[in-house]
Amino acid sequence: MHPNKLGWLLLAPTMLILFLFGVVPFFYVIWVSFHQWNPFAADPSMIFNWASNYRQLVFDAQFMASLGVTLAFVFFAVLSELVIGYLLAQAFMKDFPGKAFFRTIHTLPLIMAPIIVGSIWKLMTTPSIGIIPSLLDSWFGYNLNIGQSAMAAFITTVVMDIWHWTPLVTLSLIAALVSLPADPFEQAQIDGANKRQIFWHITLPMIRPAIIATVFIRLMDAMRTVDEVLMLTGGGPGSATRYVGVHIFKEVFPRTNYGYGSAISVIVLYLTIVVCWLLYVGLIAPRNTKKG
Amino acid sequence: MADVKIKNVIKRYGAVQVMHGVNVDIGHGEFVVLVGPSGCGKSTLLRMLAGLEEVSDGTISIGDRVVNDISPKERDIAMVFQSYALYPHKTVGENIGFPLRMAKRPKEEIDEKVRHAAGILDLTHLLDRYPKQLSGGQRQRVAMGRAIVRDPQVFLFDEPLSNLDAKLRVTMRVEIKELHQRLKTTIVYVTHDQIEAMTMADKIVVMRDGRVEQIGAPLDLYDRPGNVFVAGFIGSPSMNFLRGTIASTGGVKEFVSEAGLRLPVPPTAATEGQAVVYGIRPEHIGVGDNGTPVSVVVVEPTGSETQIFARAGTDLVNAVVKDRVRANPGQQIGFVIDPANVHLFDRQSEQRI
Ligand SMILES: Nc1ncnc2c1ncn2[C@@H]1O[C@H](COP(=O)(O)OP(=O)(O)OP(=O)(O)O)[C@@H](O)[C@H]1O
Ligand SMILES: [Mg+2]
Repeated sequence: MHPNKLGWLLLAPTMLILFLFGVVPFFYVIWVSFHQWNPFAADPSMIFNWASNYRQLVFDAQFMASLGVTLAFVFFAVLSELVIGYLLAQAFMKDFPGKAFFRTIHTLPLIMAPIIVGSIWKLMTTPSIGIIPSLLDSWFGYNLNIGQSAMAAFITTVVMDIWHWTPLVTLSLIAALVSLPADPFEQAQIDGANKRQIFWHITLPMIRPAIIATVFIRLMDAMRTVDEVLMLTGGGPGSATRYVGVHIFKEVFPRTNYGYGSAISVIVLYLTIVVCWLLYVGLIAPRNTKKG
Repeated sequence: MADVKIKNVIKRYGAVQVMHGVNVDIGHGEFVVLVGPSGCGKSTLLRMLAGLEEVSDGTISIGDRVVNDISPKERDIAMVFQSYALYPHKTVGENIGFPLRMAKRPKEEIDEKVRHAAGILDLTHLLDRYPKQLSGGQRQRVAMGRAIVRDPQVFLFDEPLSNLDAKLRVTMRVEIKELHQRLKTTIVYVTHDQIEAMTMADKIVVMRDGRVEQIGAPLDLYDRPGNVFVAGFIGSPSMNFLRGTIASTGGVKEFVSEAGLRLPVPPTAATEGQAVVYGIRPEHIGVGDNGTPVSVVVVEPTGSETQIFARAGTDLVNAVVKDRVRANPGQQIGFVIDPANVHLFDRQSEQRI
């Protein structure tokens, strides 16, 4: 057999699976988003209604509010994860007693299912039984009640996301730091750079590819956070933590409004791409054009 | 500008000791060249001077401060690494200007100095490139540029010309020498190249296995090598060595090789019967009819000179002569040796007699 044909043959199962479980549903969602479809309504048929789902979206104040809090959530969560992750990665680059142990412990949140993370945090933050409100009360006299305070709920979801995902950032930055060559750093010391200058001029640019990749992964992930938040706050109080994922969930499942839910999903996908593209333009492209 | 004093310096990596009490005194504005076989500790010594490597024992002082515990940044030294150590994400221009930028010099001054250095190093057309878009030789020149834009106390160069072609190497050699004469900055320079060492150095330090074998002016080392190692290391092609003993016929001392070949010796303190190593440089051997008879193995004409490998007794001896010698392998010719050019070393201690 021609080696090329053999290659395709070997790839075929993967491609078939990808096609069945990736491409088909993707286009199906787009297809559905142009319909009015509520399978459990009196009229369960799909009615093609052009772009009216999308038109409706633009005027959906709840959706717009949900987008706003999502962007805030993503911004604060990913930025904090990046900063904390970097500091932890630097700490793990040094030798200290029990380093391997701490590194292992610190990655544990990563292997937990989001639904579990949500449950744990719900337990920990429930007033009068959770440890966090109890500690905050005894230390600062602060009364944490995420069922009542919108700000407290928002911050708690951000902190939960940081707790859950910072280890991922740490791990990928450790990998990047470990693979850095030593001599530019030695040269920079000789060239008279202090610690701060070395960070801005050498370390940061050299691990930039890893940072960008990590931010992209985290960003896309954070944009579609559902289960943890649903578990912890249920999107509330009010709609303070009704992030788009939660919004779609609440739109589709209790109301079985499939067409409208699909339209939201498509728009969110589109927005995610736009955000990534903006980041790309802001972070990667200037360097490439300078090079050219 | 400063003098550098290296006193009893010892370097250990864990349990392995790689530097065994090195002493070197470098005067104000002196150009010192470190030579020695690969792995003898030249780079390690340079890195200790730079502060990148801790000194396990002994002291290093620059000017009148002991710098053992002073960070590289505060030592005011410029260094060119053997591996170039360019900043991969910075252009050639940014690389060269980096030390000035770190010192917060005004932009015009940086631009002007970078331009000037690039001119000297023939890098002007490459200023906007990234290191990965350069050849090895070009990278090396960028590393040089980054050092020469500064005005440090001491320059440290670790084989800065090893990747350049012969022509550029000569140009750069002259350039560095000129830089030294202009700035009068102390320079410590590591090289494998005999010619670089001989032509550039005020003082050569010959090292072996983490020890200093001999320190001296280039011609002193050439004329009076202190031991067999230095004699063999300095000079190219390297010195011929014959093993044998000192004999005396009618009060005149003579060298007798293990194969029984008799060669003249200078007036010497060597005693009769002493086991010695007899050293003679290839360029100090002439060809003549009344010389020691040898049998030609290979003749290599290089144009300006002729290199002859011949068998003297059982030893292979190399001679370099200015004349065009035509001889066929196997032919008998005579090697003429002026006793004044002969070096004698004790066989046991390998020290000069
Ligand atoms: N980090 C290290 N750990 C252990 N041994 C080392 C280390 N760095 C260097 N050495 C050893 O120290 C000795 C001196 O090394 P160094 O790099 O100074 O040699 P060099 O004279 O510069 O050689 P070359 O001419 O090949 O550059 C070598 O035997 C080397 O194996
Ligand atoms: Mg070296």
